Amino acid sequence: MINHIKYPVLFITGAILLIPPVVQAKAKNKAQYENKQIKIRFSSRTPEQIAAFYEGRGFSKAMVNKLKPLCFITVGIRNKSRDVIWLDLANWRFKNTEGEFKQFNRTYWKSLWKQMNIPLAHQSTFRWTLLPETLDFRPNEHEGGNIILPFSDKPFTLQAQFKTKADKSGKRFTIQVNNLQCIR
Amino acid sequence: MKYKKIILFLIFGCLPFTTMASNNLPEPPKGIIKLAPYPAPAIELKDIDGQAFSLSETKKHWVFVHFWASWCGPCKKEMPAIQKMWDTLKKEGLKMAFINTAEDEDTVFSFLSVYAPNIRALMDSDGQLTEKWQPRGLPATYLVDPKGQVRYQALGGRPWETKVYMDFLRHLLTQK
Repeated sequence: MINHIKYPVLFITGAILLIPPVVQAKAKNKAQYENKQIKIRFSSRTPEQIAAFYEGRGFSKAMVNKLKPLCFITVGIRNKSRDVIWLDLANWRFKNTEGEFKQFNRTYWKSLWKQMNIPLAHQSTFRWTLLPETLDFRPNEHEGGNIILPFSDKPFTLQAQFKTKADKSGKRFTIQVNNLQCIR
Repeated sequence: MKYKKIILFLIFGCLPFTTMASNNLPEPPKGIIKLAPYPAPAIELKDIDGQAFSLSETKKHWVFVHFWASWCGPCKKEMPAIQKMWDTLKKEGLKMAFINTAEDEDTVFSFLSVYAPNIRALMDSDGQLTEKWQPRGLPATYLVDPKGQVRYQALGGRPWETKVYMDFLRHLLTQK
């Protein structure tokens, strides 16, 4: 039983150490991670940016008020490898000094918007602004979108695991990005 | 016995040609995936002027099915390339379903007058048709064959007006 737990941990730790990443912190609201397989950019958005975007699309005040207090990070991912890389947000772990926290997923939003009787058009637009929860990134494919987290003024770390190959049978790799920040 | 041989010849002799015809589609340029064919989900929408469009009416033609939104940066970037491609290939038999996802007419009208004034926009006003096609993201382009089968999918925006993409699309137009 212990081995079942220990070996994946060792494997993940090993993968992090073996793949030399390039993590660049450009500005307080921007970060970038790059290794041989993948390039990921992070841009934190202010509540004003979020409000301006969604109000500009005709979203109701009630909808915008639900979004403004949260932490929006626009994520752009490019598959640099010659194989399929699987994005699965269920394998993304966010952590700060107070512990682990989760992103608000699509199920949460769908339920909230339904409860608030939000028009389908606005629900649709909102969904398209989110990062896909799962996607088989093809070689050289680039996709992006927002992830939404509880707001925290403390820097946090993302640890994300990716499977590879179309049938997910390839070598997994894990990345770690430190000092991500929500901004006000 | 003689007839049996003829029938067997017709069945097995013609089989390779049938297979060849279905596999004869060109290999796509970078950023376009060749798909295992599947029936295109129905498209029944009105355009920005209220005229009805049905994908079923475009059978016997290749159809460029495109999903976009004005707020999407890569959509905006790709739009002039689609306009240029369309200006040429509509005369050569390509059909288009140019679908705006979940925006209102004023937004679409203002946007297209700048970026793609000669393309007829279809309004997926509540975004539900886009959901049925399950694009990977926006923009999204699919190429549907004359039998109504989805055959290719583009990954994000593509330089459709460039020679390699135009040649590819022209090659498709020769495949009935």
